[in-house]
Amino acid sequence: MTHSIEVDMLSVFAGPTRLMGPVSFSVAPGGTLVIMGETGAGKSLIAQAILGTLPGALRAEGHITINGSRVDTLPVAERAAMWGHELATLPQEPWRALDPLMRAFRQVTESYRFVAGHPPVQAREDTAEAFQALGLSGAEDRLPGALSGGMAQRVAFAAATAGKAPILIADEPTKGLDAARHAKVVDLLAKVPATGGTLLAITHEVAVTRRLGGHVVVLRDGQLVEQGPAKTVLSAPADSYTRALLDADPQCWPHSNPHSAGDVILTAQDLAIARDGKHLIDGFNLSLKQGERVALTGPSGIGKTTLLDALAGLLPPASGHVTRAQGLSRHAVQKLYQDPPAAFPTRIPLEKSLRDVARLHKTDWGFVLRTLEHLGVRPSLLSRRPDEVSGGELQRISIARALTVRPSVLLADEPTSRLDPITQRDTLRLLEKVAAEENIAVVLVTHDRHIADKWADRILKLAK
Amino acid sequence: MSNQSEMMIDAGVSGAQSTLPVSRMTGLALLALLAVAAIGGPGLIGGDPAKQSLLHTLEGPSAAHPLGTDNLGRDMAARLLSGAQLSLSLAFLSVITAGLPGTLLGIAAAWFGGWADRLLGAFADAVLALPGLLLVLMLAAISPGSWWALYAGISLTLWVEYFRYTRQRARIVLAEPSVEASKLLGLGPWLLIRRHLIPEIGPGLLTIAAFGAATAVTSVAALGFVSVGIRPPTAEWGVMMTELLPYWREAPFLILQPVACLVLTVLALHLSVGGPRRP
Repeated sequence: MTHSIEVDMLSVFAGPTRLMGPVSFSVAPGGTLVIMGETGAGKSLIAQAILGTLPGALRAEGHITINGSRVDTLPVAERAAMWGHELATLPQEPWRALDPLMRAFRQVTESYRFVAGHPPVQAREDTAEAFQALGLSGAEDRLPGALSGGMAQRVAFAAATAGKAPILIADEPTKGLDAARHAKVVDLLAKVPATGGTLLAITHEVAVTRRLGGHVVVLRDGQLVEQGPAKTVLSAPADSYTRALLDADPQCWPHSNPHSAGDVILTAQDLAIARDGKHLIDGFNLSLKQGERVALTGPSGIGKTTLLDALAGLLPPASGHVTRAQGLSRHAVQKLYQDPPAAFPTRIPLEKSLRDVARLHKTDWGFVLRTLEHLGVRPSLLSRRPDEVSGGELQRISIARALTVRPSVLLADEPTSRLDPITQRDTLRLLEKVAAEENIAVVLVTHDRHIADKWADRILKLAK
Repeated sequence: MSNQSEMMIDAGVSGAQSTLPVSRMTGLALLALLAVAAIGGPGLIGGDPAKQSLLHTLEGPSAAHPLGTDNLGRDMAARLLSGAQLSLSLAFLSVITAGLPGTLLGIAAAWFGGWADRLLGAFADAVLALPGLLLVLMLAAISPGSWWALYAGISLTLWVEYFRYTRQRARIVLAEPSVEASKLLGLGPWLLIRRHLIPEIGPGLLTIAAFGAATAVTSVAALGFVSVGIRPPTAEWGVMMTELLPYWREAPFLILQPVACLVLTVLALHLSVGGPRRP
């Protein structure tokens, strides 16, 4: 039978170095293939090799057959001619892939007009239909910057599928989306095979794999770890790495030990906050006790980050009060950030940043080194700059940096949402351990309700 | 995404990064040479740039006068060195007096924001609205031929660039989460500026400074050439060009010398900061 995509002994090389492979797999029309693995495992390289968009320095070897014809030997121009017609891609973080100066409706109309080749009137009708079907009514005249993450994703989806390509490649489709939108996008993708299309999805999230099903390929450091039907791989993984990856899914975490809370150290009374004149949250109350772990959840854009800023004293509340317990130092409230590299001065070595803090707070350098060791950070990393250290390591270094000032409260703003699942679990475990040892209260902002359930002592849900 | 490919490209670049590109090396070497010439001045060759000898005018290079003599029999080498001294010291001083207040005001505007930012911004825009040359000409008219008028005029027009660049960049840098984190950790303004701002805007400021210095050198020469700036008999490259222009047919190598000096200086300054830079 003819497969939609058939890949035989595909490897990707950079010069003489093998970055990925060899992998072999095939998907039939109406089938789903999910490629799983952590950042840097080479997942995107497979998609790029299939599309023919590998960066110039890289080279693919092996056979790639699409809809029965071999493509890896074709010249670039002929492969490009397949884009939109036979193969469509949904890019990572689509709000960056849309033209920021073109209104949503026109972006999609252009696809119908020029990729699908419909006459202008019909292209507009088709676009209107697609907007209707995807629940985008009302967003027609918005610029991409004014679209929410989920809407931008659906606009990109409409534009990508306008050419009715039978194969859709989705690279990390759920990156940067909150829980509700996450589910919607995955549902949207699940419809592709149901209507006879072929879906190739790349993800590091077990939950996405579970929902999409089909055939699963697990990669680690460019090596094929295992592959098979989703049911088998997810329920009875053959490899220990796959098992670790599955265990790292927040749904499978054990519940954290509840921590006996101490005295109240931070209270928010009837707090209302606004940013840039926009009213965000009203009547928020919180009394935070020593050593307590609180999860703060809510849809994107509701003002979780702004609320943390108000709790940290960085933003004056519109009304109400934030009160700290007496005797708390000025630096007793510290923050952890979503994007670890953005939380450090970019161009100086990490050691300098840490030494600055230690010196200002008269903390012994030995204490800092012990903390780092405790968090499993190699001291040799400190000579590097923030962008030369992995996200997980950097987040641990930022925890160590916060501990240097001996805080009582840590406000963590989605500290692990950009980390891989295994790193995410390890980082949150460490944070839990450290908080228990030092009796630090932690407020964790997260959009993953499983993390909130399993990790926190109590959950605060913000709703519109 | 393609982490490996980025890593690989990084590794490929880092080898070349440890050594400066050839163009920058050339620029820096030329700059060092010019600095030696400017600091040493005419004393380097023991000549006197003002001593006339009407018996030896428009002579070619000889042992006594390595670059020949001009229309009044003055030693060209000594005059060029003296001109270098004047132009480069003026460029150096105007870069400092324009760069320092410009940068500090830019940081202040970004730091305080609000009305301070608007006031400083409006002032900078007002200066920018005035053609730079006009300001220099006005000052030159008040005090003709004075070195100070040139210096003040050039500094007053150049500071706006530093101000605008610093304000723009500092505003972005100061809004980064890393600055917020450092503030929460108790870092004071001085450390924030040193750790966050200076490493971020330093390279850009250096580029502006080098280009500004080149602008200053050419402005001085241009004003000298049209007899508005430095007056004869002071040895200044622009003035020398004016003086030697009538003799271009008899002694073309003479007029070419101050022109070559000017070109080399601007080239050295531009090359020294050019080349590929890490984003």
